[in-house]
Amino acid sequence: MSPDLHHLSGAYAVDALDVGERALFEQHLAGCADCRAEVAELSATAHSLSALTEEDPPPALRAAVLSGISQVRPLPPLAGDDTRMPPSGMDAASRHPGSEPTAGAAPEKEGEGPGATVIPFRRRASTWFAAAAAAAVITVGGLAWSPWSDPADTSPVAGVVAAEDAVRVSRTQGPLTADLAYSRELGQAAISVAGLPPAPEGKDYQLWYVGTDETARPAGLLTAGNDGRGELLLEGDANAAAAVGMTLEPAGGSRQPTTEPIVVLSLT
Amino acid sequence: MSDMTAASRDAAASGEAAAASLSAPELADLLRRSARGDEAAFAALYDATSRRLFGLVLRVVRDHAMSEEVTQEVYLDVWRQSARFDASRGSALSWLMTIAHRTAVDRVRSSEASRRRDDAHAAASHDVDFDATAEAAQATLEAQRVRRALATLTDAQRSAVELAYLGGYTHTEVARLLDLPLGTAKTRIRDGLIRLRDTMGVPA
Repeated sequence: MSPDLHHLSGAYAVDALDVGERALFEQHLAGCADCRAEVAELSATAHSLSALTEEDPPPALRAAVLSGISQVRPLPPLAGDDTRMPPSGMDAASRHPGSEPTAGAAPEKEGEGPGATVIPFRRRASTWFAAAAAAAVITVGGLAWSPWSDPADTSPVAGVVAAEDAVRVSRTQGPLTADLAYSRELGQAAISVAGLPPAPEGKDYQLWYVGTDETARPAGLLTAGNDGRGELLLEGDANAAAAVGMTLEPAGGSRQPTTEPIVVLSLT
Repeated sequence: MSDMTAASRDAAASGEAAAASLSAPELADLLRRSARGDEAAFAALYDATSRRLFGLVLRVVRDHAMSEEVTQEVYLDVWRQSARFDASRGSALSWLMTIAHRTAVDRVRSSEASRRRDDAHAAASHDVDFDATAEAAQATLEAQRVRRALATLTDAQRSAVELAYLGGYTHTEVARLLDLPLGTAKTRIRDGLIRLRDTMGVPA
């Protein structure tokens, strides 16, 4: 229980930590009941300030929201106890890479008719992009630490990382860190993950290229080693994509995503 | 949706007034019903919270069109996640606003352009913005209570809390904007929030 971390509670409650600090503090929160209680109080206190900024939304927004939700199925409750404290934010689902996607695949069992196994992608695009928006873009120069296994090797993955126009995007969610490198010149992207639990029996992690037209194209299967690390050169043309996402799919992969994305990285 | 007759406008207006005073258990109940797919309950939840939520998003994001987009995204997410709301960990409103604030902040930070724009403007404009807020007719009792509580903070605490929460800045950016040594802004933010909490009591 580090006192330094404890002092981040206020900044965390108002979302004033940067991406790395936020991830660090959330790890701390999982094991610190004092901080969880303090964050809950300070967060509720901070939200009182929104009484000062009330504003009528445009009437059309109400109709848009209500027609939007009528086409989306609420997620089932989490099965186990959730030790993460904060009132789960937008990416709460993605914070449980091991269990959540399985829960998201539940419609299969509920006989909602043909196509029920595929959550309509159009409806989920905002989720993809909302998740991607939170990813931090790291420019290539001056990176002291490399998530990539061996920057000196000559694999296709290393080729993308080393490309002159390579851009890296990084995202941390709980224990999972995903780093993406892509090169417009090569039209390729490679992903490196750490902290990825082994896929459950009969499941595989699948990568997707997500287009600006909201379509998802399969981009290969990623296998993490026992150390939770894995790398993959994505299949297909990176230049046609606006984002890269990863879902948990039945072994061998799917033609369309059937579960909620675990992580999404935006190709800006 | 039916036409907006004078009667339904009145109904909507009074509904809003009533909505603002929906109790925490009532909001929590609407969330629970939403989790079971009850769209009418969700509509009531929207009516009860959209002024709060949209206003905050707009304050953080600034751009009107983008604020509408973010607000829609937040409500869609609230609908999807409604079963994960846990009343033992905080109020429904706090849960909603947490999702809204984080989504708005993440959106602003994802855009380098808007960040630069804000950096350029914030130091000069945040006082003005806040005065404008103060001048607006904030007749609600809660707004008055919040304003009184804010007045008990030191200037440094108040600026730090406002820039972080209403401005959507990181504590590092807050430190730069207020010419504070790096690392002290997070202490100001925490001290300010603790003082607010102690003055107002923890909101239900």
